[in-house]
Amino acid sequence: MPNGIWVLVEHQDGKVKKISLELLSAGIEFSKKTGQEVGAVLLGSGLEEAVNSLTPYADKIYWINDTLFIPYTSEAYLAGIVPLVKEHQPSILLGGATSTGKDLFPRLAMHLQTGYVPDCTGLSIEENGKLTALRPLFGGKVFAEVGFSEVRPQMATVRNNVFLIKEHPDRSAQIISITPSMDSSLLKKKVVGFEKAEGTKLDITEADIVVAAGRGIKAPEHFKLIEDLADVLNASVGTTRATVDEGWRDLKDQIGKSGKNISAKLYMAFGISGAIHHVLGIGTCKTVVAVDTDPNALIFNYADYGIVGDLFQIVPALTEELKKVLAADR
Amino acid sequence: MALDFSFTEEQEFFRQTVRDAVNRLIMPRVKELDEKEEFPWDLWKEFASLGYLGLRHKEEYGGMETDTITQMIFYEELARGSCGFAMSVIMQILMGTYFIARFGNEEIKQRILVPAIKGEKIGTICFTEDQSGSDLGGTRTLATKVDGGWRLNGRKQWITNGPIADFATVMATVDPKLGLKGLNFYLVERKTENRDGFVSGQRLHKLGSRCSVTGELVLDNVFVPDENFLGEEIGKGVQYAGEILNEVRVMTGMNALAIAKEAMEDAKQYANNRIAFGNPISKYQLIREKFAKYWAWYEASRTFLYRCAWMIQNNIPCINECMLAKYHATEMCMYAVEEAMRIYGGNAFCSEYPVQRFWRDAKFLLYGGGTHEVLCDYLGRVYCKD
Amino acid sequence: MEIYVLVKQVPDPEAIVKVKSDSELEIENKYFTNFFDEIAVEAGLKLKEKFGGKVTVLTLDHRRVDALRRGISMGADEAVQITDPALEGSDPFAVARTLSAYLQNKPFDLIFTGRQAMDDDAGIVGPAVAECLGIPHIHSIIGLEVDAQKKEARVVREVENGKEVLICPLPALFTCQKGLHSPRIPLVMNVMKAMKAQIKKVDLASLGLSPTEVGAQASTIKIQKYLPPPKRPPVKIIKEDFPENVKTLIKLLREEAKVI
Repeated sequence: MPNGIWVLVEHQDGKVKKISLELLSAGIEFSKKTGQEVGAVLLGSGLEEAVNSLTPYADKIYWINDTLFIPYTSEAYLAGIVPLVKEHQPSILLGGATSTGKDLFPRLAMHLQTGYVPDCTGLSIEENGKLTALRPLFGGKVFAEVGFSEVRPQMATVRNNVFLIKEHPDRSAQIISITPSMDSSLLKKKVVGFEKAEGTKLDITEADIVVAAGRGIKAPEHFKLIEDLADVLNASVGTTRATVDEGWRDLKDQIGKSGKNISAKLYMAFGISGAIHHVLGIGTCKTVVAVDTDPNALIFNYADYGIVGDLFQIVPALTEELKKVLAADR
Repeated sequence: MALDFSFTEEQEFFRQTVRDAVNRLIMPRVKELDEKEEFPWDLWKEFASLGYLGLRHKEEYGGMETDTITQMIFYEELARGSCGFAMSVIMQILMGTYFIARFGNEEIKQRILVPAIKGEKIGTICFTEDQSGSDLGGTRTLATKVDGGWRLNGRKQWITNGPIADFATVMATVDPKLGLKGLNFYLVERKTENRDGFVSGQRLHKLGSRCSVTGELVLDNVFVPDENFLGEEIGKGVQYAGEILNEVRVMTGMNALAIAKEAMEDAKQYANNRIAFGNPISKYQLIREKFAKYWAWYEASRTFLYRCAWMIQNNIPCINECMLAKYHATEMCMYAVEEAMRIYGGNAFCSEYPVQRFWRDAKFLLYGGGTHEVLCDYLGRVYCKD
Repeated sequence: MEIYVLVKQVPDPEAIVKVKSDSELEIENKYFTNFFDEIAVEAGLKLKEKFGGKVTVLTLDHRRVDALRRGISMGADEAVQITDPALEGSDPFAVARTLSAYLQNKPFDLIFTGRQAMDDDAGIVGPAVAECLGIPHIHSIIGLEVDAQKKEARVVREVENGKEVLICPLPALFTCQKGLHSPRIPLVMNVMKAMKAQIKKVDLASLGLSPTEVGAQASTIKIQKYLPPPKRPPVKIIKEDFPENVKTLIKLLREEAKVI
């Protein structure tokens, strides 16, 4: 009988990523209903700090300790995870809808001959442990509730900010350290380089707050205004297809159908008309603010708060005012 | 199956391909093209390199030899983007090269038609003068037979691509007194150091279709050799022109369809989002009626035009049908752009919104392929004849 | 270089898609070739131009073949359609098994596909095919250089905090992301060719698969219910003049939305 709600924990520079804590928190909520154990699986060496930080979020931590797991490759992860899953037969295996999750999970699911639902914006569980996943289709024009056949584990990747992080200080997970017998010749791919993105900002898919400007910003150098605002809010800067196609901004910051879907808690759009390509990428943001000079701009149909006005006036004022307000908080 | 209104799978695929090319190459630039009022050489080269200029011509000269319906699909999709650019491209594909392909000798075809299909030479056709347009019998540009060729004298107006043309098919008369019976086509190239030819006169600034450059061509005692006479017999020019007139009219109708649809799709978006008195204005009956009327006329027009295209393709005589369809489509388009302007209210009056461009571009279609006054006069006369 | 590209015809991003019932969608009849698959075709063509060889476009769809025609019009050499009524209702894993059944005995150096299809947005088929075929894959690549002699590829993939460079032996499967290439606009000549192109049709029997291995009954995930997207309450337009509107916005974000 498969048992266990597992989360594949992602880490970076020895620290656990936020999405993994969100999923473990959800796992604990689910376990209250089903009585299953919550397991955190993480792969890599030198993860003592990460492992210890996970103890209030799980019942068991499976630490597969080997240097071959950093940086991530699908072959190494598959070799590490598959025996563990086969041994313990978890009922559920969750991961973040991240570059790792999207690369690994489909392949892992195929290997395990099980089901996998990608890029979810919601999960619910029945007492018998049956998982139902909610996910957008057609870029968010419709949503679907997706269930699994009798196969286990039920696998899903979930977007950022779908679940809240909740620490359980009373819990203290058992740490199970595993030293796998890894055959490095199995690892076909090799990561040979890494080019860190400029700045220290989080990826737009990971950030709690995203501020963005579109063609209305008129020239690439004006993005400084948006960056200043982002600095005050500790936000990341997004943009539209138009400015990427113009070569003003990097593709990695493009929100929308041919770019990225974001699930920020707060999304602020300045000088963005709201083309369907763009708004499909912000459908799951919690609060949306739009500022545009055109009162009929479509973006207002997708916003919670709107100001009809000139971004060149609003943005600097917003930055200054926020500085004051947030300074008063501290 | 006698009646079948469907496009083939292949035709649908072709439409999709053109639509995609237009979306990617033209759509992002329509505003700029209109505002700059310059011929977009880069766009021209791109379209030429894709091979679209050879749509109508024989494979041996670099063409595609597509059928009429396929060509019309192209015209319809192309005009969705920029009406002005469409004018330049269609001039090259159809009117600007037809008579050269039909009557030019092999040397002329190699020298003119082949580079024209590649987009390396730009062509045009010259009918209009200050006192003749619809009234071709009033043509005064004179062609005089001389030893080994012809001498041409006159001024041609409203010449699409005129300011940039490398070669032109010029209508001229051997004797103004002969009226329609004196008219012929001549191939004339632009004047260079080594060759006699036309020079550009005044360039016109237009209300719409502004990225196709239009202007005067001046023929000042230009000598052209005998082989530049485009025809088999003297005095048959009008008859030859008739060979493509049906196509020209249906093509014009296709442009009208495209502009009307773009304008109304745009107006629909506006009407669904513009709030007045607490509702999107598309909830109000007077606004809805505009869409309903347009829709009915548009569908009728489109069916009629493709029927004409089908008749041309199958060599079924259809002069009157093509005139009627052009007239109907263009009037439908006038209605659509006018109502789109009204739906936009005051916003129609500023250049921020594209609706005024549709309105301006559309007006051009009233004249191409025959003014509606001339068409209606003729059609009414034909209808009433006992 | 033998290259296969997995392509799919999907509703245009502008097409209207609505929930008709719990189990049915209403999709406007406006289709195009999945944008990311076009990038994948382009990747194949670029390699063919450099190293020679053949590009084959492959789709699993028993109605639409336009994605194949699109591939041919861009310059692909061959088109194969896997078509069988039994495939109806297949989940992405069943699709991957079927595609793999076709590919497994073929000689190939590279398989490309889009990072996801713009209908189900799942991105499963590519990596799952690689698993079935036992070849390495890299998801969402934005850079590619192939060393034909060493039979390996240098690949750039996008990750959250930057770009990762990997060396991958061939044969391999890569899913393509915007930024890798800009797909070419087909020449009319090739469009005409594509309009007349013979499309090779393959059914399940010829792949040695039984109908029970595909379709809804073989699927591990199942859509139970379609839902419209969650509705946002109507926008609150802040009507005050500048700079009061800025202050009000901050107040609303702090006190009402509680996001800052």
